This record gives sequence, C-alpha cells and structure tokens, in this order.
Amino acid sequence: MIRRVAKPVSILLTICMLLLSLPHKSAFAGMIGTETVLDATRSQEARDYLNRTLAREDVRASLIAQGIDPLEAKARVDSLSDAEAVSLADQLEELPAGGSALGILVGAILIVFIVLLITDILGYTDVFPFVKKHSEVKKDSDNK
Amino acid sequence: MRRIIIALLVLIVSSMFPGCGGVFFRQWPQPSEHLPVSHELDSVPFYPQEAYQCGPASLSMVLTWSGIQANPETITPEVFTPSRKGSLQSAMIGAARRHGRLAYLITGPDSMFEEVAAGHPVIVLQNLGLSWYPVWHYAVVVGYDLHKGTVILHSGVTPRKRLSFRVFYNTWARSDYWGLLVLPPSRLPAMVTKHNYISAVLGLEKARKWRAATEGYNTALARWPDSLSAHMGLGNSYYALGDLESAEAAFREAARRFPTDGMAYNNLAQVLWAQGKQQDALEAACRAVDLGGPLVEEYRRTLKEIQAGKP
Repeated sequence: MIRRVAKPVSILLTICMLLLSLPHKSAFAGMIGTETVLDATRSQEARDYLNRTLAREDVRASLIAQGIDPLEAKARVDSLSDAEAVSLADQLEELPAGGSALGILVGAILIVFIVLLITDILGYTDVFPFVKKHSEVKKDSDNK
Repeated sequence: MRRIIIALLVLIVSSMFPGCGGVFFRQWPQPSEHLPVSHELDSVPFYPQEAYQCGPASLSMVLTWSGIQANPETITPEVFTPSRKGSLQSAMIGAARRHGRLAYLITGPDSMFEEVAAGHPVIVLQNLGLSWYPVWHYAVVVGYDLHKGTVILHSGVTPRKRLSFRVFYNTWARSDYWGLLVLPPSRLPAMVTKHNYISAVLGLEKARKWRAATEGYNTALARWPDSLSAHMGLGNSYYALGDLESAEAAFREAARRFPTDGMAYNNLAQVLWAQGKQQDALEAACRAVDLGGPLVEEYRRTLKEIQAGKP
C-alpha cells in the first residue's frame, strides 16, 4: 500500500523541490526576494572572506613561516573560480573557533596552493603563468 | 614520473581530507578544548518507532527537544515513507521547517561530535543492510564517548543504544554521513557557515514561517552583522508579516551598510509606499534605479508603480 502511495508522493515532492529551486520569483510583487539576494552575493562574499583571511596578521605570519609569499597566496586564491572560492571559503569558515584553528586554516590555504601548483606542473591546469609546460621544470614543491 | 606524482598527490590530498579517498581508516576525533571526552544529552525524549516509522520517530524526538509538541502520530502524515531515500530526506527537512524549526545539514562526520558536544542532537541516516540491498534507517545521536569509542543513539525501539564507532561509521558512511540538525531559530549550529545558515533561514521563509524567519535572521545578524542577505531576509519577513515599521527599519539598515546596492533601496521603496509615504518611496526607488545593476529592470518597475500612484 505504501508503495502505491509512494510514487505519486515522490513525484509531487520532486516537483515541489524543483519549484523551490527555480529562479527566483519573489512571493511579493516588486520586492527582491531573499533567495535572489543570497545568490547574487554569495561568490563575492566568499572572495571578501578569503581576502580578509589572507590579510590577517597571524595568517600572513604563518604563510611566511611556511616559505610562502602572502602576495603569491592571494594571487592563487584570486585565480579560483566562483565555485571554488565559495567551496574554499565554506571549508575555512566552518572550522571551530580556537587557537588550533589557525593551523588548520593556513593548512587549507596551503593545500590549495600546493595542489594548484602540482596540477599546473602536470599540465592539468593552467593557473600560474610562471609554470612552464614541460617536464624539465624544477619542481620546488617537492621539497615542501 | 608523472604517475608517481599523481599517486603522491592523491595520497596527500586524501589523507588531509578524511573521507575523500577512503584509503585510510577513519580516525575518530581527539578530545580538545571544545570537544570533551564524552557527552550525553538528557533532554532528548525517546519515541519507539513503529514499522517503517524511524523517520517520524526521529524527527519527533528532535522536534520535541527543540520545543515543539510532536509525536510520531502527528508527524507521520507529514513525512511519507517512500522506498527511495531521497524524497524522504527532503521530506524530513520540509517537515522541520513547517514546524518553524531550522533544518541544517551537517557537513562531514566530525561535525556530528561538535554538535552533540554543544548540546544538539543529530538525526543520522544509516544503511543497516548491504550496499546492494540497503535498509535505510534514521536514528538520533544523543551522545558519544571518545575513550570507549562509542556513539549513543535513540534508535528503533532502543533508547540510549551504544554502538561502536566502527559499526556506526560503517553504517553511516553509506549515506555519505548524512546528518540533520533541527534547531530553534534562536540557535546557531556549533559548526556553521554564513551561507548555509542563511539558506536554512531562507527555508523557513519559503515555508511561510515568517515569525520564525525573523528570529533566524536576527540570530544570523548577531553573528554576521555584515550579511546583506540576512538584512534583506529580515526585511522581507517582516513585510510578509505585515510589520511594515520593522521592515522599513531592516531595509534602512541594509541600505546604510550597502549604499551601492540597489536591492535594499528597491525593497525600502516598496515598504515606504505601502505605508503611504509616497515622497520617501519615490526617492528610494529613484536611488535604486540610479544604482543600477543586473536587477535594474525590477527597480524601474517599482519606480513606475510608485509614480503611477497605484495602491
């Protein structure tokens, strides 16, 4: 009996979920709906958050201690697409507050840095102009 | 050479993001300043489930904990039990919202411990069967013990059931560690991001729970006072409630903080107009049009309506 009810209900729920995800007619004429605002601001807010984080004194000090120029780190983060910036900002933002979080925070930025550098060297991405696309390039990242 | 680098890359990345590669056995978290060795919630009631009703039972437990009168009989019609888990998960979220509660999905298994440590029960989706013959089951995590390596669940017909981490993770992993918080809109999850929280409050708006939405947006603003979405959401929710004064205040604050964004001015214009403040409304609408942006057509429409003096 449940199976007979299940299919039309599933279809109804799916339609409802789809309707919820359509852009973005406000329930009230003339008002810009909250969902529209959320979507419009998301990637910019993520980038602002990443820039603020990279500008922090403690983060900069950690990066320098790791041998990374904060300006280079900023350039690499700027090179992320909207979706990647949003994803990275979300991951960093969710870390619990506290002293050890700084280490994790800088670690996450470092990972992006390293991964992008390596994939660039391998030729899968083309993010950094200084990476030459042949196998003779010196792999500094291996020493990190 | 290339293959070695790729293998190295995969190993490094998958070890730094647990759960990504599945190459290493999942370690349970270590105690820290915000994660005590063990914690158990006393205030989560237990409702034994009837056949197939683990969803309603779990949701009832957490709704009651959050301050809503709920039991499996009242919740069951709101949360159907189709054979596919997908619709049921969204039905759980929808039902929570309809009761004026925030539905917030946790991101990753470690968040679960943080939430329980903060006093929040977590609804989890386990597969108690096999990958090719799944038996999906909702349970509520009400405690954990890092030394003993156990998780405490209200599950099925057993309150405070203790499960080893290994078994728990194995059954939970199959749902990709799906976990749901059901919170009153005055609370923030322990592990929270601005966007996810505001999206959750937006869910309340969509469920037409305007009062709860205003509470949620205020909670968001206390934590993220610079969020344009939260300010706009607050104004929109007050407007929907018919509280035009509060709506005006919210949009004025949004416009003050974001003077280069037309959205706040547009909505402010609407609210002023609805209060009969024609001149102020006209000014705000003109300001929005001047600021332009991708929504400028909306702003022009608002301006035209106000100029035409339509009621």
